[in-house]
Amino acid sequence: MSEAAAAAATKSWINGDESARQMLGRAQASRPSLSLPAPLHRIPLRAGNVVEIAGPSPSAKTQLLIQTAVSCILPKERNGVHYGGLGHSVLFVDLDCRFDVLRLVEMLRHRIVQVNGCSCTADDEEILKLSMRQFSYIRCYDSCELLAALKTLHHRLEKEKESNGIGGHLLMIDSIGAFHWVDRASTSLPLGGKNRKYLSLQNVLEVVVEDLRKLMSAHPMLVIVTKATIVGTTGNDFRRNYKRWPSAGTFDASSELEGLREPYFREYMPPIWQSFVTHRILVRGSDDHIAMPKSQENNTAYVSEWLLPRLNFLDKFVVRNAGVFLVS
Amino acid sequence: MASLKRLETEFPILDPDFQSFCALRGIFTVQDFLIRDLQSLVADAEQQPSSERFMQAINQVLYVIDGLHQPWLNGVDLMEDAQKNKHVLSTGCEGMDFLLRGGLRRGQVTELAGPSSSGKTQMQPRVLQEVMNSILCHSVYDIFSMFDVLHCLESKLKYQMCRGDNDERLIIIDSISSLITPILGSSGSQGRALMVSAMSLLKKLAHEYNLAVLVTNHTVGGDGGIPKPALGESWKTLPHVRLLLSRDCGSNTYQVSLLKHPSIASGKAAKFIIND
Repeated sequence: MSEAAAAAATKSWINGDESARQMLGRAQASRPSLSLPAPLHRIPLRAGNVVEIAGPSPSAKTQLLIQTAVSCILPKERNGVHYGGLGHSVLFVDLDCRFDVLRLVEMLRHRIVQVNGCSCTADDEEILKLSMRQFSYIRCYDSCELLAALKTLHHRLEKEKESNGIGGHLLMIDSIGAFHWVDRASTSLPLGGKNRKYLSLQNVLEVVVEDLRKLMSAHPMLVIVTKATIVGTTGNDFRRNYKRWPSAGTFDASSELEGLREPYFREYMPPIWQSFVTHRILVRGSDDHIAMPKSQENNTAYVSEWLLPRLNFLDKFVVRNAGVFLVS
Repeated sequence: MASLKRLETEFPILDPDFQSFCALRGIFTVQDFLIRDLQSLVADAEQQPSSERFMQAINQVLYVIDGLHQPWLNGVDLMEDAQKNKHVLSTGCEGMDFLLRGGLRRGQVTELAGPSSSGKTQMQPRVLQEVMNSILCHSVYDIFSMFDVLHCLESKLKYQMCRGDNDERLIIIDSISSLITPILGSSGSQGRALMVSAMSLLKKLAHEYNLAVLVTNHTVGGDGGIPKPALGESWKTLPHVRLLLSRDCGSNTYQVSLLKHPSIASGKAAKFIIND
């Protein structure tokens, strides 16, 4: 190579393909960050992230999912009215099989009426139907069904891409620990053939993680997963650690937070799942009851804490008919 | 799970060549396919001499796999199904009906927990009075016979669904805790696995055949002496609706509180009186 060509090659290597600003701009455009309702709003989330919402039962995890789903399926703007949704499609994989669609419809209706005011019911119904069309739901009664659904999801999304164009997706799984005991107990006799794998907890989750990774690389998708803390500590331990949570508003004492550093639940998912998750939130009911000024009832409040990335404060929220609302 | 050999009769593209290609990689049945990494298999297949046939065969197996899971439902269909099929059954008790906004909902599994002599069994006749269409009683003494009964019921319901008449509306299991507690060891997972599978089957029956399911549970001592439902932490995630029943000492007044509901705030309570 002549000297000039070598110099030119070195120079172009030093200059790089694009500047940092260009790279960030490109990343923002292709995978924009989504604005999700509280308490998921603290950290900007984008397609490619895997968020895990963990908590004991009951702690409003499914309500958070439904609230997020409502924000996603609403269109951004329609007939001149700004609804503020994302217009993305939501794929809901129900492993618990406890999803109540009427709750989703109730929350969606509240949002629409809030925007439209109390007029135009025919328009409301149209928007409701339009949003519900963006919502896809599947139930899985065991791990085989879950694996089958994930394996065939790619083709389904490809077909949708051809007909509807590229849109963002939100994949929700409720809840990932549903088949934990069944898979753990499925001991198998050694099968013929040395290459054969059997349906164990580790193998199932490996395949789930692999398939999810491939789905996320082929279609821009944010994954939100709930996880119930089913392998809990005994009741006494629970109470002991529980009482050390400060009530919201007093987040000065770092010494108090020191005691909270150890999560009071045991992580039961294997490491392959734990490393797949990019963000983690912990939700639980709090002891305080919030007295609502307008209604006579006391609503149970829940607190949420971001574990990954760790934010050193707690969000408090209540669940009302209209949805999930942050308090304080 | 169907083996590839058996599928060959239905889909001749899964010929012995493909079967031996799969056998080398430890795949003999459709279930083995599920647990495998599909992309590496496809990459392997492309390097084979008859790669096109192998790709077609893989697609054929994927088609079979597509039939293994429940169908994807659109939100609009789900909404219509809930409005058309998933009505509420009154419990016959006004207080409880008010608490549950109507009663037991079809498609959902409701747990009624309470210590002994708290009115659990007295609640049952009230529920039954409303549903006199078909009362079939099965005595089961362990969880395996319960599975048998439920599987027979499933085949019967499937047959009835094809014929178009659907009589059954409610399944009551009194009490599910007596079936599960003997098998729940402290560390083994078999007991909990059976519990999860039993509830999965009940939820499937409830949803697909539009039945309401009521299960009763007993209570154990909790913190501060307040009784809490038995069966542990894993149980809490299984029923749709959880109710805790208690009785004021020596009187006919009962209190039922809502521990968990998919669409009503928990913590509410109602009092009612049962006159014998």
